[in-house]
Order: sequence, then C-alpha cells, then structure tokens
Amino acid sequence: MNSTPQLLFKNRVAGQTIFFKDYCKTGGYQALTKALKTMSPTEIVDVVKASGLRGRGGAGFSTGLKWSFFPADAPRPKYLVCNCDEMEPGTYKDGELLAADPHQLIEGMVLSAYALNADVGYIFIRYAYDQQLRNLQQAVAEAKKAGYLGKNILGSGFDFELHLHGSAGRYILGEETALLNGLEGKRPNPRLKPPFPAVRGLFGRPTTVNNVETIANIPHIINGGAEWFKDLARNPEGAGTKLFGLSGHLNCTECFELPVGIPLGELIEDYGGGVWKKRKFKACLPGGASTPYLTAEHLDIALDFDPLAKVGSRFGTAGVTVFDDHSCMLRATLNLLQFFARESCGWCTPCRDGLPLVCWLLEKIEKGEGTNEDLEMLKQQQQQITGRSFCALAEGAMGPLDGLLRLFEQEVIDHIQKGECPF
Amino acid sequence: MPTLTIDNRTVTVAEGASVLDAAVELGIVVPHYCYHQALGAVGACRQCAVTILEGSQKGLKMSCLVTAEDGMQVSTCDEESRSFRAQVGEWLMTNHPHDCPVCDEGGECQLQEMTIGSGHGIRRYRGNKRTHTNQDLGPFITQEMNRCIQCYRCVRAYKDYCGGEDFGVMGSRQRVFFGRFKEGPLESDFSGNLIDFCPTGVFTDKTSRFKTRYWDLQQAPSICPHCSLGCATLPGGRYQQLQRVRSGSNRLTNDSFICDRARFGSDWANHPQRPREARIDGEKAEFSVVLSQLEERLQSLVDTYGGETLRLLGSPRASFEANLLLKKLAVRFGAPTPCYDAHPRRAFAARAAGSIPSGQLASLQQLRASDLVLVAGVDPLAEAPVLALALRQVVRAGGRVVVLDPRPVELPCEFEHHSLTQEALLRGLSAPEENELLESLRQQLEAAHHPVLVGGGDLLGGAGLLLLRRFSESCCGDSDCLIFPVLHGPNSYGGGLLEEPGERQRDLLEDLENGKVRALICLEADPAIEHPDPGRMQLALARLDLLAVFDHLPTHSVAAANIFLPTRTLFECGGTYVNNEGRMQAFAPVIEPGIPLEVSGGGGHPLRQFDSGVPGSAPHSAIHLLQQLLKDRQDLFGLRRQIVEEIPCLRDLDRLEAGDSGRRMADCGESLEESRLEIWAQEGELRLLPVMARYGGDQYSRLSQPLASRLQQPCLWIHPLEAAERGFGEGQRVVLRTAVGHFRLSLSCKEKMVRGRVMLPCLPGTPLEVFTPGGLSIPCQLYAEDDNA
Amino acid sequence: MICLGNFSAEIEIMKKLLLKKQIDAFRRKVAKTEHPRELVIDLLREIQDRNGWVSDEGVELAAQILGVTPIEVEEVATFYDKIYRQPVGRYPIHICDSICCWSRGGEEIANHLQQQLEIKLGETTTDGLFTLLPTCCLGGCGRAPSMMIGRRFYGNLSLAELDRIIEQLREEAKG
Repeated sequence: MNSTPQLLFKNRVAGQTIFFKDYCKTGGYQALTKALKTMSPTEIVDVVKASGLRGRGGAGFSTGLKWSFFPADAPRPKYLVCNCDEMEPGTYKDGELLAADPHQLIEGMVLSAYALNADVGYIFIRYAYDQQLRNLQQAVAEAKKAGYLGKNILGSGFDFELHLHGSAGRYILGEETALLNGLEGKRPNPRLKPPFPAVRGLFGRPTTVNNVETIANIPHIINGGAEWFKDLARNPEGAGTKLFGLSGHLNCTECFELPVGIPLGELIEDYGGGVWKKRKFKACLPGGASTPYLTAEHLDIALDFDPLAKVGSRFGTAGVTVFDDHSCMLRATLNLLQFFARESCGWCTPCRDGLPLVCWLLEKIEKGEGTNEDLEMLKQQQQQITGRSFCALAEGAMGPLDGLLRLFEQEVIDHIQKGECPF
Repeated sequence: MPTLTIDNRTVTVAEGASVLDAAVELGIVVPHYCYHQALGAVGACRQCAVTILEGSQKGLKMSCLVTAEDGMQVSTCDEESRSFRAQVGEWLMTNHPHDCPVCDEGGECQLQEMTIGSGHGIRRYRGNKRTHTNQDLGPFITQEMNRCIQCYRCVRAYKDYCGGEDFGVMGSRQRVFFGRFKEGPLESDFSGNLIDFCPTGVFTDKTSRFKTRYWDLQQAPSICPHCSLGCATLPGGRYQQLQRVRSGSNRLTNDSFICDRARFGSDWANHPQRPREARIDGEKAEFSVVLSQLEERLQSLVDTYGGETLRLLGSPRASFEANLLLKKLAVRFGAPTPCYDAHPRRAFAARAAGSIPSGQLASLQQLRASDLVLVAGVDPLAEAPVLALALRQVVRAGGRVVVLDPRPVELPCEFEHHSLTQEALLRGLSAPEENELLESLRQQLEAAHHPVLVGGGDLLGGAGLLLLRRFSESCCGDSDCLIFPVLHGPNSYGGGLLEEPGERQRDLLEDLENGKVRALICLEADPAIEHPDPGRMQLALARLDLLAVFDHLPTHSVAAANIFLPTRTLFECGGTYVNNEGRMQAFAPVIEPGIPLEVSGGGGHPLRQFDSGVPGSAPHSAIHLLQQLLKDRQDLFGLRRQIVEEIPCLRDLDRLEAGDSGRRMADCGESLEESRLEIWAQEGELRLLPVMARYGGDQYSRLSQPLASRLQQPCLWIHPLEAAERGFGEGQRVVLRTAVGHFRLSLSCKEKMVRGRVMLPCLPGTPLEVFTPGGLSIPCQLYAEDDNA
Repeated sequence: MICLGNFSAEIEIMKKLLLKKQIDAFRRKVAKTEHPRELVIDLLREIQDRNGWVSDEGVELAAQILGVTPIEVEEVATFYDKIYRQPVGRYPIHICDSICCWSRGGEEIANHLQQQLEIKLGETTTDGLFTLLPTCCLGGCGRAPSMMIGRRFYGNLSLAELDRIIEQLREEAKG
C-alpha cells in the first residue's frame, strides 16, 4: 500500500526503536559527516532554502529563510531549540518518529546547529512522551560516545552540547517564546515580540526554535539534495514528504509518511481505510485542532500549506481528524474550544476570558437552551477574538469555531430551533 | 519628535512614546489596565485597542504597544475599535463580582471608570463565576481575589519594580491567583504600592477600611515628611482624621511609588496624645492669651537682658515658610539667627548639601537613569527608602550599584557592598588618590555614562559631603558625575539654607550651659532628644527662664515647655519643604485641624457624644502663629511672594502649586570651604555607632499605630566574628556600657557589617532615645548580662 | 528559603522528599549551570516521582536547591498540569478528553471509570489508590481512546480492557 519514498520512517518497525548501530547501517550520520567535511554552514542554509522545506510545527514558514535571519556571527552562546511539545489534539507524528528512530533528530540537530553556528541545543519534550524521552537519552549518550556530539565533532572544530528537557504538560509550551520561558524555568507565558528569538531568545541570546520533523528532515536534504527533496511532493508548490497522523472516525488511525500534496480523499480512502462503520465522511480537521474544518467538497484538495490556505483552512501539523456523518459538529467544536480554554496560559483577556465565554455559549446551544441572540453573540466572539489575542493560541481556537459558523451554521440553527441536539 | 493625529487632533510627542501616551497627552481616554506609565506596556489586557488608519502597521492595534510615528493617523471612535474595547470590557466583567456598593475601591476604581469608558454596559454571561479563597496578607492589605481582572500590574509593581520576593502569580488559564506562597504579612518595605497599582478592589488598604467612602474623602496633594526625599503623596481624611496616604505622582522624584513608612506611618497626626491645647506653665489657656503672654515675656526678657539671651530653634520638620518666619522673629527681638537643627553635625551636613551647586545635584529621576551609582554612607531602606527603589531600577536597566558603608546594608537588588568604618570612609574620601578602592571606583565613575554619587549626611557629615563633592569633580569624564545627598528630615535642606553663614555652627547646648541664654523658642523641634547629647540637653533646658514650644507631637520639650502652642500638622495647613536635592515642593491642607470626630464622638455610629470644644479653638499653623507674633497679615501666597522679593534665589517659590513636580532652588547656598575632619577613633577599640532604624527611627512613624507590627525591637548589631571573639552569639543578652549610661540589649549578628563596631538602631520613645544617629562612633564596652549582674 | 528553624529538622524533611544522592546530584548541576532555574521542572518531577506529589515542603526544598524563593518555584509548579500540588492516589489516571479520544468513545471511558471507582473526576478513591484526572491530548490520537496512569500510556481502550487494567493495578498494590 505504501509505495512512496520513506525518509523519516524508513527505519520504522512497529513496536521497535532503532538505535545507533542500526541507524548507522542505513546511512545514519553520513549526512553529518559529509556536511562537516565538505560544506560550509552557509551552504547548508542555502541547500535547505532551495529544498523548499517549510516548518513542520504548523506555521509553515520556510526553514531556510528563517535560518538566514539568524545572526550566526553573533558571539556565543547561541541556541538551537527543538520543539517537541506537540500537544495539539490530533497531532502525534513527532512522537511516532521519536519512538521509532531518535537518532535522526540528533543528527538533524547537530547539522542544523552547524549551519546556524549554534553551540548549545535543547530538545523540549512533552510530558506524555516518556518513552521518547528515554529513547533520546540513550541516543544522546550513544552519539556522544561516537563523537557526533560534544567537543570538536568529527575533528571539524565544531562543538555542540545537547540537553534534553522533559516538560510537565501544557499546550502553550508549543508557542516558541512560551517554550523558551519554560526552558528557563519561568512561567511559560508567551513573550512580547519583537524582539524575536533570533535576536533575544533563550537566556536573552540568539535562538532558533524548530520542530522535530523539520530538523529530522535536514539529514535527508543534505544526503539527497534540494532538488530531489522538492520533487518528492505531489503538488508543484510543495516540497518533501510529510508525516500524516490519522485519527477520528477512520478504520485505520495510524501515522504515515506521504508526499506533500497528497489529495485528502486519497489519504482517507487509501491510508485511513475509509470512514469507519461504513458511514460517510462529513468533515475533518486537516492539521490539528486549530485548523478550520474541511468537508466532502474538499476531498480532492492537495494537502499542503498554500492549497489549504486558499480554502480558508490550514495545513498545520497534518494531523487529520475525521468526523463521520453521525457527528454533531457543534459538540465537536465545543470539545475543541474546551481544550483551548483550558490550555490558555491566562495572560491576555481574549484568550483567558473570551474562550470560556465561547464555551459557555456553545454549551448552552448544544443543550438546546440557545437563542438566536446566542448565535449572534457567538459570531461576534469569533470576530472579536480572531487576530486580537497576545499569541496564536486563541487565534487557533477560532479555527474550528470559524469552520463551524461558516460550514455548519445550519446545524447550530437546528439546535436552537429544536431545543435539543439533533444528533 | 513625531507628530501624529488622533481623532482629528494633532499632537507632537517624545521619540519612542506610544500611541497610548499620545492619546493621554491629548486627553483622549483610551481605557487600559496592564499598561502603567511606571511599569511600561506588556500587551496583556488588550483593552487599549485603537485603529491605526495611516502608519507602518495599520488596522486594530493595542495602542500601548505601537510606537507613535510621524504622520500617523489614529482613530479611537471607529466602530471596529469601539466594539472591541466594549467586548474586552465584557470579558473582564464575566467573573468580576457586582459588589461595588460594598467594595472599598468603589468610587475610585479604575475598573469602574474604564468599563464605562469601554462602552460595556450589560453583561450577557449568566454562568457561574470563578471564585478564590483569599489570603491574610498582614496588617496593611486586604486581599479580595474574586475581583481580580488579571492585569498582572500587582506582580509587576511588587516583584519587578519593587523587588519584593514573597509575592507572585500562581495558577493559569481562568484561574490565576496573585498572592504569597503561604498566608502571612507581606515582607516588602514597599508592599503598600499594591493598593495604588491594583486597578480594582483586589488589594485595598486594611488600615483605612470602613472609615470613609471615596466620595466623602478629603484629599489634597502633599509631600511625605518621613525622610528627606520629598516623595509626592496623596493623603486623605475626613472628620478631622487622617485616614490614609496614597502615592502621589512626580516623575522627578518618587514617580508613583512610596514606601510603607510613608503610607502607613502617618497615623501620628491622629495620635491620642497629640497636644492640641495651648498652655502656660502647664495650664490650658486660650491661644490668643498664650500668644500675647509669649510676646510680653519675650519682650520683657529682651528689654532686660538683651536679644543675645534669646535663642530660636527651627527644625527639619517645620515648613520652609515657618522656618523663615522664625528667622524674622529673631531679627525682631534682636536675637541671633536661629539654628535649624538641634544636632550641630546634622545642621552642618544640611549646609554642606546646600552649598553644592544645583547643576551638580541629581534628582531621583536622573539617578534611576544612571548606569553606575556609588552610595557612600547611606543605608537607603532606613534613611531614604524610595532611594532603594531607584537603585533597583538602575540595576534592572543593566547598571551597577556600589555601596560603601559600615552598616549591614540591604537593598532590593544586586549590589556590591564594601563594608568599611565611618572613619575609614571619611579618611578615604579625604585622600581618594591614595585609596586603592576609591581610585578604582573613581576610574569606573569616570568611564560611566551617567554616574551618580549618593552621600549620606548622617554618616559623612558636612565635611564628608564636601569631600564627596570634590571626589565627584574628579570623576567627571565625558559626562558630569552628579551628587545625590541624603539628609534626615523633610526640610533639612531648607533649614540649612537659613542657617547663619560661617565656618561652624555654634552648639546651642554650650550656650545654654554657660548661662548666656535665658529663653528658647522651639519650632516643631525637640532638642531634648534631637541633640546628640540628650541628657545634658535636658538639664540645660531645665535651667531656662522661658522655654516656648510650637509643636504637634507629644515630645519631651512640649512637656517641659513654659509656654506651649499647638500647631497644625502638614495635613492641616499649606507650606513648602525643600528636599534633599534642593527641590521646593508645596503641600496643601487635606483636613481641618481638631480632634477627630471618631474620638470626640466616642466612636460608633451614629455619634453618641458631642464635643464641648469652642469652635475656633483648634490649632493654628506654625506659619500663622509666627505671623501673628510678627504682625504679618498676609496669606500664604502673599508670604511666598514677599520671600521671593527678599531672597531672589527662591524665585520660583511663589509659583509652586501642591501636586506639581516642584522647582529646584537656584544656587544660593553659601560656598563652604572644606573643613577639618573630626576623626578620633582608635584602631582596635570597640566603638558604638548609633544608626537610623528602618521603622520607628523617625519622630513620626514611631507614633503610628498601623506600623506597630513593623517597629524595630531594641537590639545591638554586631559582626558574628566580633561576637564570637567575646564568646557571644546571636540573641545573647548583653550590657552595653557607654558614657551616657548602660543598656541591656540582645545581640543581633550581621555578617555584612564592618568589624570593630557595634551598631544601635536608634528608637525615639524608648530608653534608647539617648542615642541619635548623625554623629561619629563613640567608645563603648560590652559585657554578658550575667557577668555584670 | 526553607525556614524550619533547625538544621537537623531540615535534613529530616529533605530525606523524606529526595534521597541524599539525588539532592547532591542536583546541587552539583546547580553549581555547574549559569541559570539554575532551568532545572526547576526536572527537580519538581523528581520530587513528584519519589513522593507522588509535590508538597509545600517539596516546593521549599526545590527553592532551596535552586537558590530561589519558594514563590518563584510555586509560580511555575502551579502552572503545569502534571505537577500535583495536592496529594493524588498511588495511580493518578489521566483520561484524555480531547477531540480524537472524544470521537472514539473517550466519554464512555471516563464515565465507566467514574462508576467503577465510585468517584468523580478530580477525586481520589477512599483506598488512596486512584485519582481521576481529565487531561488534554496525550499524543495517542492514533490509539484513541487513551489514558495515562502515572507515566504509562494505555491506548485503544475498551471497557473490558479498562476493567482488566484497574484490576491488575489493584492486585499490584496488594502485592
């Protein structure tokens, strides 16, 4: 079934973790060796830029471009931080990757640090990924022993120190500046930007924060080249492969590495095994809890950043959560909003107080106690919160609400008119 | 200087100012909570949204976060920003209780005003509200967390600005709690600022609860009398009772912060033992009778024995105007120029501070902007608490603070402390080029962008301040090294200006003792404990034919006076103080003088007793009393105009208004030659240095009931090694033997203090009041309490 | 700072909270790092692993090791969901209530557990074995519905599976 080239999942065997010896057998650390011996840091940045790799954490910013803003010649210390907070519901790809093949991330970290001239790295790991944390601990120890981490790596004169940080569970830590505060042992509220982390990041020093999957792609890009990587995608504007984590009402809810640009319908039918219980597809979250719903009319759409933006949704983390035609989308949206309200850090008003107000309205309507005024108020809330919160959390929370009001307004009206949930 | 347009009105603002600042400048109300001028913008509350029509970033923006640009067009009236601000109002009110009628903040609540200002009126939310369990935060502050709107101002003021270490923010999402780790009294010396900074009724003043509703409160801008810094305050009272003090706002001095001594230390004005009735030889009398008696007695004394036999003593507590009138009174009776501090060394320190040219003096604002401050001989938290806050701002901005002081100085920030004796410090300043430490500091100050030297009048004395001035001149690199002298009273500087010029002030005590003086007039001064040798002074006072005292505190001198005239406190009359940097600042009357209704009415509500006092019998201001003696009928403004005509360097005095930022004096201090240092300490001998106590050390705060829990307990500080050498430890009961008597005390070991000294925090009103700060160390001996028994 | 009056009492409380070698290891790390505060989560997690939760004394101990004030530790500790500032049962059960688990029967799992354990969400069983805590996404979206007991993940849950796990833990607790 899975005939597409496997980069990130090439060593993946269900229920097993590949460590140093096996990783090296399939070409592990060759990219690092090649880069340290034959490439300058700027060359690596250029290759990454040319590869078209876009951040895999959800925002989709060009990784090469982001790196080119980094003040590589600033005095030390400079930090490279890997974001493995991955707490957006529907998203579990980084966990799968680290459960299967942790050395890819280590190699990617050293390569990226070399490209950025960063000397200290942190991998920030969510609380629930205990196994993954232990895998990384072992991988770091092995890499150190083999001389791929530490002082004077492979005789290149490049030093890189790598730390692991196990978190204690909050979605807001996925926001890069909140994550930096968390790493520093402070309250993880997001920081005011500017200054951006590239200027004043961890401990006030230049810092780049990248997602696990982004960094794990770097060795493959170095090995295969920019053109090869770009051509992996199915759509012309896309680049590379992507880890798609399937969940919700599908027969098969697993994580697959597939080309960027694969059509939604193909993903659902060929990989998700179709909608469960022989039901029909109603909607899906295409890239995690914060991305507006897609419906049956979007089944042909190429799953990539630009095509999804065009239809008012987002590629996000490519964690696809499917809803069958028995689902109450109001109830689903309420569940999502409850998540965001609970994960608010409490810093800004629209998020801290606005999201609970949205939950209250949704709950009221879902219970059949809603009025037309409540629906109006709900629309107002969506307009007033969007774009006006301190960080992207509340903005993300408005994704599903926007989808609900845009695509399923009739369902909301039905709740109000019937005085109960029609499902 | 960008010029921008807000709501079709144009304004030019300083470079770097925000759009919100510009709106404030225009008087356009943009509601906001998390932004505070002194704390800056953090963008949390989202209340101050406006629409930028033209500018580098367009659309709905938080005005506190957008820097004003030239040619910017801003709207606050457009539907988009108006409806968003109303929505923020609704969000903030979802959990705020509707308890305004019983809330202490009601009527002066920023949340009330700005919710109305936001346009939010009807709450649509009908669900449950989140509630909290409150903490007991001690005697000063009541916490009511249910009212919290999570603007984070409290924690930014208490922790970030003031450096408090026992307060923070806990929890997250819609359940954020601002408080202590565990219940208990707040520890910061600036805890009261929570009251001013909280925009609603979460943190309110426990000491003034249930006394007055805001709209019934009489308030007027004033100046804090507890130290020499002249912080702006806003006292409030009702029914002849002073009920609370809030911080005023003066960016040149205290900005928007005051210390707890200022805030909770003003209850002395209501003190039950406050002398409120005129007396002749212990008998109550009508004030006009007393006044004419005084005049008669003075005249006959002067006629008989000559003006030389009359002395007058002003004080750092009395207003500048009253002190100046005292000088005129001396002229009228042919008496020598008054002294303005019973403590000769302190008087000389004030004169020395006054001799520093105005251009070389730093304001607190300049000090906050310094990158290197050298503090020589000041314990800020004891002598000038808000100075400690300013030093913290220096460090927060990346600057450094170096302290040279024998005491175990503590500051709410990181600093470098060089512990050396008073004598070593003075010797070093007299020849800094020979002193390795001072030479190295001199080079650092020279290299700094905005260096400031802080010098303590009490520790350095006038001679030391003059040496410090010379030192500062040697530190001027690309920019001048400014001086920030710290004196001891609110009008010490002003008193210094009025002193008789000349090398050394005569010691009043010597003249009293040699019998040359027959009468003494004390203006809000208590020589019986303010003089460095109170025992001798008290005996000398007893020999006078006439001791006339004008005061509002229950002092020794008041008790010993032949003629006593009660005066109003600064809360009951207008006047001017000149602060430590020569800034003249006016204060206005807040309440009427007289016995508080709560006292005369027997407490309770409604009143159950009625006062039989004759209307008009309340105290007069010292200014008024002196004017009567001088047959001067001008009002305060006329008086000020006249002063300006007579003393040109006070030219701005008549333009002062209470609540303004004050005006620096022009240079008019005498130019003082450096004088001989009085250093006589021997190496190796144990000496006692009386020092200022943090609470209870000044004449006022010791009489304030709310501060009772913070008053320092009598103890003797000693270096732990010094204690160990004598076989003593922490808490050891000892007998301290000195020339003025012996005292039983317990030892408190202080690692950061200098060796070879013991230090006594001075406490007026206790047996230890025979010691006064402001002098040099004195010989002493220590024994274990048992040995002596 | 920890203020327990006398030194030996302090040592006793510390020993209860962390092993001496753990404390020493942290002290060494603190001495080595420029920013000791970055260790706060590691330290709290270790105190919690050993004691089941982080008590006030635990916060004070962490503050003392890191050289910060207790409130600075508390500010962080109370932010995170997986630092327990109240006692929990021996097996804290985190039931995922986010969208993927919800879509595949998460609510039934939560209801079933509440019935079986006779407690509501947020409560601890009287035998002190189980605490039920609703939690956001655990990253087991492909194996929904899921839960975590302590640090151990359980996915693809059915009601029967659930009963078996609870029974097994009860047995484990006996042994």
